[in-house]
Amino acid sequence: MKRTYIPKLDDILGGGIVDNASVMFSAVPGVDCEAFGYQMLYGRLKEGDKGFIFTNVAEPETITYEFNSYGWDLEKFLESGDAFFVDGSSPFMGLPSTARYSVDDYSKIEEIVLEAISDVPGGIGVINNLSTLIDYLGEDETINIIKKWNLYSRRYNTNLIYLFTKWDYTPSLVQNLKKIMDCVVEIRTIEERVIIGQGFMVAHSSWSKPSKTMVLFFVVQPGGVKVYIPKILVTGPYNAGKSTFVKKISKRAVSVDRKALSAFPTTIALDIGHLEYKGFIADVFGTPGQERFDLLLDVLGRESVGAFIIVDSTAPQTFARAKEMIRKTRAEAIPKVLVANKQDLPGALSPEEIREKMKLGEEVPIIPAIVTEGKGVTDALDALLGLLYGD
Amino acid sequence: MFMKNNSDITNLGDLLGDIEPGKIVLLYGPPKVGKSIFCYQFLYSGLKGGEPCLYIAADYGLRQLEQRMMEFNWFLQPYIQSGEVYIIDILTRLAGVKIGDSNAVKFSSVQNLADLMVKVGVGTRSLFRKSSKFRAVLDSLTMIFAFNPPNLVLRLMKAYKNRVSEANGIGLVVHTTGTVEPQFETSLMELADFKICFDGKSIQVESSAGKKSAQYTITDEGIKCWGIE
Amino acid sequence: MIVRISSGIPGLDKLIGGGGGSLAENTVTLIYGPPKVGKSIFSYQFAYEGLVNDEPCLYVSTDYGLKDLERNVANFGWKVEEYVGSENFYLIDAISTISGVEVSSTLNYFPSSVYNPTDIMVKLGVAIRQIKSKSPRFRSVLDSLTTLMAFNDELLVVRVLTIYIMRIKESGGTAIVTYTEGSADSKVENMLKAIVDNIIHLDGENLTVEAMVGSGKLKAHYNITSSGIVVD
Repeated sequence: MKRTYIPKLDDILGGGIVDNASVMFSAVPGVDCEAFGYQMLYGRLKEGDKGFIFTNVAEPETITYEFNSYGWDLEKFLESGDAFFVDGSSPFMGLPSTARYSVDDYSKIEEIVLEAISDVPGGIGVINNLSTLIDYLGEDETINIIKKWNLYSRRYNTNLIYLFTKWDYTPSLVQNLKKIMDCVVEIRTIEERVIIGQGFMVAHSSWSKPSKTMVLFFVVQPGGVKVYIPKILVTGPYNAGKSTFVKKISKRAVSVDRKALSAFPTTIALDIGHLEYKGFIADVFGTPGQERFDLLLDVLGRESVGAFIIVDSTAPQTFARAKEMIRKTRAEAIPKVLVANKQDLPGALSPEEIREKMKLGEEVPIIPAIVTEGKGVTDALDALLGLLYGD
Repeated sequence: MFMKNNSDITNLGDLLGDIEPGKIVLLYGPPKVGKSIFCYQFLYSGLKGGEPCLYIAADYGLRQLEQRMMEFNWFLQPYIQSGEVYIIDILTRLAGVKIGDSNAVKFSSVQNLADLMVKVGVGTRSLFRKSSKFRAVLDSLTMIFAFNPPNLVLRLMKAYKNRVSEANGIGLVVHTTGTVEPQFETSLMELADFKICFDGKSIQVESSAGKKSAQYTITDEGIKCWGIE
Repeated sequence: MIVRISSGIPGLDKLIGGGGGSLAENTVTLIYGPPKVGKSIFSYQFAYEGLVNDEPCLYVSTDYGLKDLERNVANFGWKVEEYVGSENFYLIDAISTISGVEVSSTLNYFPSSVYNPTDIMVKLGVAIRQIKSKSPRFRSVLDSLTTLMAFNDELLVVRVLTIYIMRIKESGGTAIVTYTEGSADSKVENMLKAIVDNIIHLDGENLTVEAMVGSGKLKAHYNITSSGIVVD
């Protein structure tokens, strides 16, 4: 097994990628997939493996410059010969190439990459990118070449990492490509008219049964691919059941007291949890209910992508306070779900009655719950995910 | 689209009318008829009217864009500083110059279309947050066709069209006729919602609303047209 | 305002810029037309104008090697020393080696080959670096695109031309490139016209400015005299 050096990806793949596996990163246009290939290569180079980059979209110098902006020193591996380029870009533009291999003639691509593979046994090769190859050589020709490359790399125990931009190719081509790869990672966008987020997800892997988790990520320079873990806020009036809710939805929940938050002068009890539900990963922050902690609400609210507001269905006198907390946490601007807790107690108002009393718009789902018994908790989670992902 | 008021001496506003957001406009014609000048004008009139713009400089670099616009007294720098124009320059790196990206100016490569789309994604998001109406210009497809397989360029166009129209922008794409095989030109025409043809003397406009034409000339103040019918 | 440099062609500067220079600085002009209309002569004059004013010239020659250039220039009565041997004249000779002639490079003389545009680009890079350290502005000539396209894939030459143009402009140069009308595929010819900034057409009788930054179309009669091209 070899590590991918992409956060969370090794976990999802059951530890990493098999030594001779071919991996395809399939990204929709608009999402960065180069960073994934480069990050994998760099991690392996540091480990001591050899590697190469086949490029037909950027000159080696430009790529080395890209690595620098991520904070990765490719030059030293190029100098030592542990890393090299298969340059299909410079000759195409009539520019000189100092790469170990240079593709002057596209008909020689297959044999040149085969040679490169044999130079890096047990190592890694990044193909950047497959789409340009397909539109130059044709679909069938490219598929044949890939099959030969994958067969060869299996023999040398080399991993081939293919970067593919999923332009409007025919579904059958995309299917055929997936079939000849040992592992396919799909990189997608989360859109709300424009791209507001991106995530990767393993579509299949020949050696494991990966979970269908979509991991949100962002790419930073320097740094590379980083996992983005959104924050979910759990707020509401005192004694509505927030702490219990946080514990019920989190895999591990912790109550943090003033010892840990010494920056704040007053006593604070904060519930922090980590949520993984139906492939969605998030950090959960339960706010204190007392008014004197309202300063914290502003800070926490700013970075949250969604919120649960827990109210005690038997205490309508606290509804005004609930609305105030929504406002203070800026939860007005983010997707939120109201959890009408304590439905089992006498005098509990129904969701419709609560909506009327609170004058809450229809866009906020109100989920009846008995949090202590775990009832309504998954409904609430599903409701929030529905708002976030729009399915 | 162009300011349709007393100060619009160009009459372009009358000729083109209001183009709905979410549409792709194909500006085509032989070389050297004023298509780029139209782009500068489209960019500048938008900026003056409060519509930010995504500008993909694919035939020339940022420096030349600024210089050419200055000849018409259209100054781009202030809008670059304020971030109302988001420029993607895909040629300057070919000169061997290593420049880093800044907030409003990104450098990409004419042969890395996937990277271009990544920057288009970031640009559209940035402009969408600034304004519900924005413009996008791609001037032009000529070098892009010289450096990439034509099929891939068409794929880029489809993805670009999706991205711009989804974000409710008006996308202007420039193409020099007679530089690629006819079937690719046909496909380009099919992608466009609105077509403008410059032939050196007249402008022909074609859209779902019908056809219009006018005579035009290039003046110190940009392109002016008359005789609209 | 557009800075214009003198073309070295008597009458042309008056035609375009009213006397104050014609070719916009930092632009690339396509000089094209049928064979034998004076395109190469235009190039020598353009280079000469810069050299006598102490402006370096980067000359890429694909049809005439060093010896032929010397002879052609002398025929028009121009001082050969202003060219060859001048510190300011950088010649990339892409033809002499083809005929098996032994040539060695000097500081200003770079033998190359029309079969190897990559090598031409390498030599271009070296020459530009040297020029930049001496002068903020310079001239360049690429004579001719036609010959390059005869020996290489036409689109490859278009790409090489694009890079040539970007590098010249980035370094402060003003260039002219020559091309024989109809010698390449019409799609490629249209691309060439789209890539350059200015277009001047010669047909043996008339010179037509088909495109020029900051100027409209112009036309005038010209002659090839014993001292070069003269525009009426």
